[in-house]
This record gives sequence, C-alpha cells and structure tokens, in this order.
Amino acid sequence: MTETLATPARAAPSRNGGQSKTLALLKEVLGRNRFDDRIDTQPDVTTAQALGVIGRSIRLIAEAKGLFAAKVAFGFVAVFPALFLPWMAKILVDNAILGQPFGITAVSYPPFMDPILGAVYGRDPLGIAMVLMVIYFALLIVFGGRSGATGAGLLEGRDAATQAENQISGGLSRVGGVWGLAEFMVHVRLTQTLSNRLRARLFDRLTHLPMTVLDDQRAGDSVYRVLYDTPMAPDLAYRVTSEPFFMLLGAALNLYILQYSYGEVSPELVWVAWAAVPIAFITTFPFSGALRRTNQNKRAAGSATTNAMEESMSSIAAVQSLGAGEQEKARFAERSQESFLRERYSIAVIIVAASVAGAVGGIAAIYVTILVSDRIIDGVMTVGDFAVLIGVYYGIAEPAGYFGAIWIKLQETVAAARRVFFFADYESDETRQGGRPLARVTEGVRMRTVGFAYPDGHRALTGVNLDLRVGELVALVGPTGAGKTTLAYLIPALLRPTSGRVLVDGVDAGDIDLDALRRQVTYVFQEHLLLPESIRENLELANPEASEERMMAALETAGCMDFIAQLPDGIDTVLGRSGDTLSVGQQQRLSIARGLLRDSSILILDEPTAALDPQTENQLVASLHQAAEDRLVVVIAHRLSTIRNADRIVFLDEGRVRDIGSHDELMADRASAYREFVELQGGETQES
Amino acid sequence: MEPNAESEALSLIAGYGDRADVDAPPMGLRRMVVLAWRTWPYIRPMLLHLIGLVAVMLAGGLTGLVGAFVGVDLFANKVLVGEKLQPLQATVLFVGEEYVTTDPVKLAVEDDTAGDEDATIEPDLTKAQRRTVRNRLVIWGIVGAVFATAVGYVFWYYSTWIWQSINQNLRVAMIERAESLSLKFHDSSRVGDAIFRVYQDSAMIVNLIQSAIFSPLTTLYGLLTGIVIVAAFDPWFALLVLMVGIPTAYVIVKSTPRVRRRALANRVANSRLTSRIQEAFGAIKVVKANRAERRIFDQFDEDSKAALDAAYFLRLDMVLVTLVVAVLGTGLVIVSEYIMVGFVIENRETFAGALLAGFVGFVVWNYGAVQIAGRFVGNLSGSARGLLGIWMRMQDLFIALERAFYLLDLEPEITDPDDPVPFPAPVEDVAWRAVHFGYDADKVVLAGVDLEARVGTVTAIVGGTGAGKSTLMSLLLRLYDPGAGTVSVNGVDIRHMAVSDLRSNVGIALQKNVLFAATVAENIAFGTPDADRAAVEAAAGVACADEFIRAMADGYDTELGERGGKLSSGQRQRLSIARAVVRDTPVLILDEPTASLDARTEQRVLRNLAEWGRGRVIFLITHRLSTIRNADRIALVEDGRIVEHGTHDELMAGVAGRYRAFVDAETTGRAAA
Repeated sequence: MTETLATPARAAPSRNGGQSKTLALLKEVLGRNRFDDRIDTQPDVTTAQALGVIGRSIRLIAEAKGLFAAKVAFGFVAVFPALFLPWMAKILVDNAILGQPFGITAVSYPPFMDPILGAVYGRDPLGIAMVLMVIYFALLIVFGGRSGATGAGLLEGRDAATQAENQISGGLSRVGGVWGLAEFMVHVRLTQTLSNRLRARLFDRLTHLPMTVLDDQRAGDSVYRVLYDTPMAPDLAYRVTSEPFFMLLGAALNLYILQYSYGEVSPELVWVAWAAVPIAFITTFPFSGALRRTNQNKRAAGSATTNAMEESMSSIAAVQSLGAGEQEKARFAERSQESFLRERYSIAVIIVAASVAGAVGGIAAIYVTILVSDRIIDGVMTVGDFAVLIGVYYGIAEPAGYFGAIWIKLQETVAAARRVFFFADYESDETRQGGRPLARVTEGVRMRTVGFAYPDGHRALTGVNLDLRVGELVALVGPTGAGKTTLAYLIPALLRPTSGRVLVDGVDAGDIDLDALRRQVTYVFQEHLLLPESIRENLELANPEASEERMMAALETAGCMDFIAQLPDGIDTVLGRSGDTLSVGQQQRLSIARGLLRDSSILILDEPTAALDPQTENQLVASLHQAAEDRLVVVIAHRLSTIRNADRIVFLDEGRVRDIGSHDELMADRASAYREFVELQGGETQES
Repeated sequence: MEPNAESEALSLIAGYGDRADVDAPPMGLRRMVVLAWRTWPYIRPMLLHLIGLVAVMLAGGLTGLVGAFVGVDLFANKVLVGEKLQPLQATVLFVGEEYVTTDPVKLAVEDDTAGDEDATIEPDLTKAQRRTVRNRLVIWGIVGAVFATAVGYVFWYYSTWIWQSINQNLRVAMIERAESLSLKFHDSSRVGDAIFRVYQDSAMIVNLIQSAIFSPLTTLYGLLTGIVIVAAFDPWFALLVLMVGIPTAYVIVKSTPRVRRRALANRVANSRLTSRIQEAFGAIKVVKANRAERRIFDQFDEDSKAALDAAYFLRLDMVLVTLVVAVLGTGLVIVSEYIMVGFVIENRETFAGALLAGFVGFVVWNYGAVQIAGRFVGNLSGSARGLLGIWMRMQDLFIALERAFYLLDLEPEITDPDDPVPFPAPVEDVAWRAVHFGYDADKVVLAGVDLEARVGTVTAIVGGTGAGKSTLMSLLLRLYDPGAGTVSVNGVDIRHMAVSDLRSNVGIALQKNVLFAATVAENIAFGTPDADRAAVEAAAGVACADEFIRAMADGYDTELGERGGKLSSGQRQRLSIARAVVRDTPVLILDEPTASLDARTEQRVLRNLAEWGRGRVIFLITHRLSTIRNADRIALVEDGRIVEHGTHDELMAGVAGRYRAFVDAETTGRAAA
C-alpha cells in the first residue's frame, strides 16, 4: 500500500555528482507527485486559472454583503483615532510636563487637532493634563486608544490543517475598546459565514457526485477539503479586497503627512517606494508556479495522511484481526512524515521568494538612506529630520511592499481554493435539477440494449433487454461478477447506461427528476451501511415521516424485533461505529427493515439473505412476496431458497442475460445455464 | 451554479448565553504541569536540536544587539553628526588613522552614543570622509542583513522541522495506541474523533515550550522588574499598580473556568463535525440510494454552525476579558501620567533617586523621570495583558493535550503477558473451555461454550443470526478476551501468548469484506507485507480470484477505489479469502466465506481450501448447506452455547433434531419452527 506514495523524483539516480543532485532535489521539491487523488489529478494552475480562482473567491463576498460592508465601515473609522495620539503626546510633554506655553515651536498642528487645542488652550499644566486624561479615557473606552488591537487567534500547529481554525475564526480589529470589540465580532462572523457557506456547498456537492466518482473519492480527502481547504477561499477574498483598501488608505495618510511637512524630498521618496512595487512583482512572479505546486502538494499529502488514518480507523476490526497494526502504523507514520516534509518544501519556496522580495525592498531602503544622509551631510537637513523621514518612508514603503508581494502571497491560498472549487464545480447528472416528475411507478422498468462500461474501460453489461413489471418478484441470478449489481444500479440511476436506454414507465430514467426517481426506488445494499445513530434515526433516514407502527411493522418483517427487544433502549439504542455493536446478520436485517419502510414502487435488495439464518430468510421472502403485490421487487441472490420463490428469474452471465423464466420453467429446460447453476448450488437431490 | 442546499446566516450574539454542553475538565496548575511533563518522551528525541535552536536564537540575538549598537553609533554619531571613529570601528571599516578619534574620553567609554559636547573640540570628519564611512557602513549593513536574513530563514525551516518531528512522534504514538485498543472501545467511539485528536489536538504540543514556559517566564520577569523600578520612583505609585492588579486578577481567575469550558466545547464541536463528514462519506451509498443528501446536509449544517459558534464564543470570551484588562491597564497608564504631571509641577523628590544620583539625574520628578516611569507603567500594563493572552491560549493548549493524552491513557484491554509463550508448533488442537462472554455485563453473548477442533479438520460453525458465531471466533484472535473460561491452542491459554504472535498464526477472512483503496496485490498482502507476488498469486488461485484479477485493466496492480468500491461483493469476498490464505497460518477462520459466491465458484473455493487446509485447523461460519456439508465437524450454536456437535450425518440422525430443523429450513424454503 505504501507504493501509492511513489515519488518518482526520489528514485532518480544522482550519477553525475553535484549538478544532478541539485536537479533531483529541485524535482523532489517542485515535482508534482502522486498522492491519493484519483479524481483531482491535474492540480496545476495556470496564471489565468489563478486569476479565475481569485475572481471566484471575490464573488463569495456577495453572500455576506452586510457583514462585509460593516467590516469595511468599522475598519475605515478605526484608522483615524490613531492620528490624534502622537499630537496629544506632544501637548502632554511640551505644555503639561515641561509647562511651556503654546506657540513657541514652529511646528504647526494639523487642522484636525483644532478642537483639542481649543479645549486645552489657556489652561494651567495640571488643567491641560486633566483635559487630556478625559480625552484619553474616552478614546480608550471607545477605540481602545493606547491599548492596541483586538484579536483572539488560538495557538496552532505546524501544518495547514491545524492552521485552518484560525483562518475561519481568528478575527481582527486594529483598534480596541468597544469599537474594536464590535469590529472583531463582525469580522469573525464574516469569515465564518463565508467559510460555512462554502464548506456547506462543497459538502453538498460531494454528496452529489456520481457513484463512479465516489468510488475513487476517499473519505479522508473529503474531510480534508471540507474542513481545511475551504477557509482559504474567504481568506483569499479578504486579501484582495479589504486588505489592499486599507493598505492604500494607510499609504495615502502617510503621503499626506509627508507632503505637509517634507514637501521638498517627498517626490523622490514616494517614487522610490513605489518603484519597488513592479520590481518586487516581476522578480517574485517566476516563483508563483512553484509556490502553487508546493502548496498543492502539501495539501494533497495532508489529505493522504487523513486518508490513511480514516481508513485504518474505519476498518479497525480488519486491521486487528489481520495483525496489520504495525503495518498500518508505519503507513500512517510515513504519510504524516511526508505531509510535514511537504509543508517544509512550501516554506522553502516561500523563503526563496521572500528573499527576492526582501532584496528589492532592501535596495530601495539603502537608496533612501543614502539620499537622506547626503542631505544631512550637506547640511540641508538636520539630524532630527532623519528619524522622521525614515519613519514616513516606511509608512509608504510598507504598503508598497505589500502590493509588490500581493501576487506571490496569494498563491498559497489559490492552491487551497482551487482544491475547493474543483469539487464545488464538479458537474454531474446528479446535480442537475428538474426533469420529469414521477409520482408512482405503475408499469415497470424496461431496458433496451443496455450496455455499461466503467470509466476504466471494464465492460460490465452488454445488450441487456429486459422487462420488469410492477407486481413481480424478480430474482437476478448469476455467477460472481456477472453484472447483477451493475444492472440493479441502473434502475435508481446510481449509474447511467453508457449505451441503450433504461425506461421507467416508458420514460427514460435520465429524464426523470432524480429526487422523484430515487423516492420511488429503494435500494438495500450488500454492504449494510448503518450510521452511528439510533436505530430509529437509521430508519428515518429512509422515511422521515414513518409512523411508529410502520417502523415496528418493518422491523418485524425483517426479523429485527427479537434482537431489538433485548437492547437496553430498544429502538432508540444508539449503534456504534457503522453499526458494529450489532452482528452482521442483525445489521443486514436492519438494512432490510429500512428498505421496507420506504413506501416506494420499486424495491431492490442486493443479497438480502446472505447473512440470514434460514428461518429469518423464509419470513423475509414471504413478506417480500406480499410487498410485491403492488410494486416491483428485485432480489439479487445466490441462495436457492430465496431464488426459487421468485416469480421470474433473470440469469446473467458475463454481462448478458442468458435465461429468463420461473424456476420451474428454467429447470425444465435441460440446456439452461440456470439449471446447471441450481444443481451446483444444492449439491443435493432432495429439492422439490 | 446554484447550490441545492444553502446554509443560513450566523448571528452576532444569539446563543452566546447558552451554556456549553460540556463540563470544564479539572485543569489545575498541577494537571498542567503533569501534562507538560508527559510530553517529555516525545520531545526528548529532539532535545539536542532544541538546544541547538535555543543556541542559535541566543547567538543571533546577541549578534544583532551588538551589531545594532555599533551600527547606530556609526550612523547617527559619525555619519550624521560627523564625530570621529573609535579605533576598532576604523579597523572594521578599513579606513585610515585620519578617521580615528584621539579624544581620551571617547576612547575610555566605547560606544557611548550620547553626543558629548566636549568631543566636538577635535576637528570633525570631512564631508568626504563621512560619505566614505557611510558607504562602507552600508556595505556592512548589506552583509549583516543578508547574514541575518539567511540565519532567520534557516531558523524558521529548522524550528519547523524540529516541532514537526515532535508532533510526528506524538501522532504516531497516538495512532499506535488507537490501533491496539480493543474493538470494545472502537465500537463505541467515532472515527472522526480519533482523527481530530491525532490531527488537531496533538498539534498543540509544538507550542508547549514557547507558550507554557518561555513566554510566561519572560512576561513575569517584565512584570516583576517593572514593579521594582516603579517602586524605586515612588512606592505609592507601586501600590496603585498593585491595586489595579487586584480587579485584574479577579477577572482572570473568574473567567478561566469559563474560557476552559469554551475551549473544550470548541474542540468537541469540531471533532463532531469531523465525525459527521467522515460518517457521511463512509456511508455515502446509502445516503444516495435513500436520497438522503438533504438530511445529511442538514445534520452537517447544524454541526458546522455549532462548531463555528463554539469557536466564536470562545474567542468572544477571550476578547471580553482582554478588553476589561486592557481598560484597567491603560487606564492606569493614563491616570499615572496625570499624577506624574502633578509631581513634576510640585518638584517632588523620587523615592530612590537620591541613592542613584551619582549616575542618573532623577532625584526629583522631571521630564526624563516621567518618560522612564511612564514607560515602565506601560510595560507593566502590557505585560499583564500579554500574560493574560498567554494564559487563555494555554487553557486551550492544555485542553488539547488533555484530549490527546486521553487516547494515550486508554489502556488496551488486550495486553501481552509479561513472559509470553510462543505459539505452539505444530498445532494439534484449538479448544474453547467453558467460555463466557458479553459485550456489556447485562448482555450475554456466549454462556459456557465448549468446543474443540483438531488439526486437519474443517469445523463448520452454524446457528441463527446473532447466535454468537462471529464473537466465538473473534475470541480466538483476542479481539476480545472471554469473561470466564479459556481459549487454548495445544492446551496453552492464548492469553499467555503475545498478541502479535497469536494474530500472525491465526488467519481470518472477515464477514464484512473490508478492502482498502489500494491495488489488488496490496489488498491481498495486507497484514503480510513481505509476501511476494508469487505468494499473492498462489493465494488468489486458492480463492479462485486469479481469473477475474487477470481480467482487470492492470491485473494485480489495479486500484480498487474507496473501500474496494469497484468490485462486486463476490469478488471482494474472494479477495478476502485470498488475504487470509496468503498469510499461511496454521489456523484459519472463514466467516461466511461463500455467502456472496455463486454455487460453481463456491464449490471450487471449498475444494481448493480443503486441499490447502491439510495440516491446518479451519473454521467456517456459514449458513449455506452446500458449504456445511463439506465440513468434517459441525457445531450448532444457539443461545450462546454449542447445542449440537458432530458430523452432518450424525446430527441429521440426532434425537434433538435442532440441526435437522435448521437444514430443513434451508432446503425446503419454508419456515420451520
């Protein structure tokens, strides 16, 4: 099983020393390796597709317009209180502590300070301090002035899965106080709403995948995508809308201050700061593909780890009874190790890209340092101006750096969002709405030259022609692998024929509304799948409106009452993991009861009696006969005792219908394949 | 693309008052210490690296500090102001004697960044010299920045690797424990919960040292030095600080259990959500066939919202507590500024200023004193807030570790004896003696089973659904241990053998044909990883699976899909048999091996097995008469006991006739009761 993690790059021999070793390492880090995915096998994203993913993410915001608008409004107002604080500090120092009168320094206060200046003007130092204290307190309560931002990120691990929780619910406000609290609440609910919408939609879409796809879709991967990939899309949306807006706002405010106080050097500083934007973008752009690739890999490896864990936990009975505990532990350990490694590979690429972006920013900073220090050396500016100018420069350079690196930073989230949209967009017949209604099946099912081939090319059915009528109990019989289950899957459109037509009451099954069709067809599976809920809830899954009486009747018919009566809470007993607290035979009976409870026109039972003892089986077959009076009952069976009671028997072999007829008719035909089958099955002569 | 199902919006406050439906675990300081201590075995393998990490951190910090000192002095005093250089500075900048200061005062006090008026007596550096110093300093700056960045990045990668490795140790230990827990545990716990514990809860170990040891220590240090320094300025001031500390401490102590409960609720809710998704996709076929997608979606949506609410309310509580403490702390800063302005105006003496008058000028309250004292009051408030933040996150951290160690603390019921006896070879007989067993105390499944099977025989275990047939066999694998009585091989109690030894000598083909999403060959060799291809093919031959496997697209290398979903159940069953056969064990159990096989295949498989089974002990659980009749012995299980035991002919002739009734029901297709 470990071979599924095959990494071709690692196997590459390093013959020619250093260079090919480096190449092999590059291939290893950046190569697209095969993990567990069988559906989503082309995870590479082109630049155009990345833009598409970003566009999709932005559109998500429309689903929480109110919260988003509120968040932006809160954030916008929150920018301004901070502007007052340095000037207030100056008043406190100059006019209160040092007791200087107003107006002796040349610095002119910005106009927005006028109200505060009016309030303190003409007071004695202690009076000034009192006024300032009152204003400080007001700012503290409302905006948390001088107490910092509001946020409540939890600690997280060193892998994407554990970081997802903060992505959904982290929340942040740049101010504190009541305002910060309100903004924080809006922010958390905003990201949560968007994540919830998206993961709900993804979950819904995954449950609607066609059966052939679901066969290849691992449960662990579904868990990973729904829980750990989805938060990245709202994150992406936030990063390309609100964040740049506030970055621009911050840059504008700094520009204003620069222009106001240092108009002379400002054009050159601004020019340098913003020249870094295209340069940082151009130099980091080549890494975007590598970053997407490594992030795809790390998430695929995380999925593979989840798969390994999910699989061995779900099948723990098999693992233990086959003595495979060590092996499964090793498999998990290897995958977990691999996923951690992949996390580090993505960090490695980030390091390279960040070094490049950092170098660009560094060169700009050096240029500015030389520029300003030259003026100071030449005596054009004073030493005190240096600190202020550098501070202002970073006020502009920081948003500029942000915009230069925005594309490269988005790539991580693009990789995750793509994994979400891949399945959210997966179109299938299952997701198609509408179609013709179907109230009740009155005639039956007809198959006309039906063929079916699985996506891997395996041909399961060829040229099947069949008439199944309401009021019949039909047995599908044939050797293992003859196509019985495939044939039965076609009726509720769990599979759709690749050639020919399946007609329900004369209407192509593909044209019928899927909800309506499945409501009229009940399928009881070979694998009796129960949910770890109460028996009642398991029954309600099939028919939420079923009355207590009908439930009891169905349980009685399927022979469940004798064991349910012994359970501590009877019908309300909660079953263990996939029903494992019951024996397999009991699980099977319960599955059958669930099937009987649905009031549908067609009932299909796939090997319903395999695990039943003869007594229960006979009861069941008798009640199936009763049920077949006003519906079509199809039974797939190997046991003669079940088969021989059918009205008609359809004998399948190698995907073709060989014989159709009643037991007696087919037995009378010396050449029938069915007769040969029966003789082998009984291995005895005492049958009627 | 309009979604079929849509989730409703989340409310800003609704539900906040509802009490979380979990009880806060007892999590005193002592429990935290115990939990932290217990992580030691997982941290220890990386100890050397952790020490290396701390060394890099300290060395880097020190280098940075020295570099910054020298750099600031050079740039501010020498380049911008124009002072001459210290000798060592000239050396590292490769400039001549003419740059170096001759002022003895400056030479005695290295790196004194405060501009001293006397030093300006000697001629300043020329503009050209200042530019030279600046340019060479820039070059050093580049070298330093590149070096610091490189070290920083290596540190990032290296620390990630170390913490991931520690996390990996814990994860693997948890998985190992989960896999060794008896089925009794697994039957009543959810898969998603195990996933959540191994995945999410364990990850918190990576924050342990930083959050539970380093950060609290440094902030505590800041808090204590702050108090001392503030007290040095004015003891009344320190008293004020301590008085603000009282309501702060009260708020923190009062809110801690609440935060803890919210943290647990958050983890429980997210664990439930994980389980919900896992279960939905584990049983997706039934969901689809019953068109229950909507119902499953509603359940998912409910759990999803519950998880989001739990995350939100936890954070809301954290933010509220922080808000209260921030207002108290910053309020203190603001009030103290007002008081200090008063002090300055009245020229009040500082408490300890006179003692230190030799080198600092804070004998009375002045601007500098306000600056320094104000900064320390601010630090105090900041430290308190920092400590609160760490404290609250630590609650979540330890709740997570508690959940992780819960799994590790579960003792497997099935354990190896201290001094295991090897599995006897050659096997002569397998026997159950007066075996009692029940999954729950009040639900007896086996009530005194006596059964013996000798080598070279096939024993069919027959009986009604739920009679205890599979349970009887699972005792032989020690999936459970009997409540009373013994299961023995050659007279040796299997509890005296090592579990792995026992299980590698008893093969089983399960009734539920569990397959994995891997290739055919890997599925057959599951549990026998060292089986070569020839052995796998031979086993497939015995199970009559070789033919259909070869007909598949990639033969033995064909991928089987989720839970082996691409095979018919007869094919799955044969793979399951092949899997048991390839293990080549002296004891083999086949649970309903032929239920899904057609008659022809069944006969072939049974013939092959009879051939293959010479010299082995084989048990067959079955309902099918054609299978039963081929067995050497038949044991009929009813109500937890073996009621009839013998050959087909013997039992058919038996007086009680229970077996005969069973056979009649099978052959005539009528209810026989």
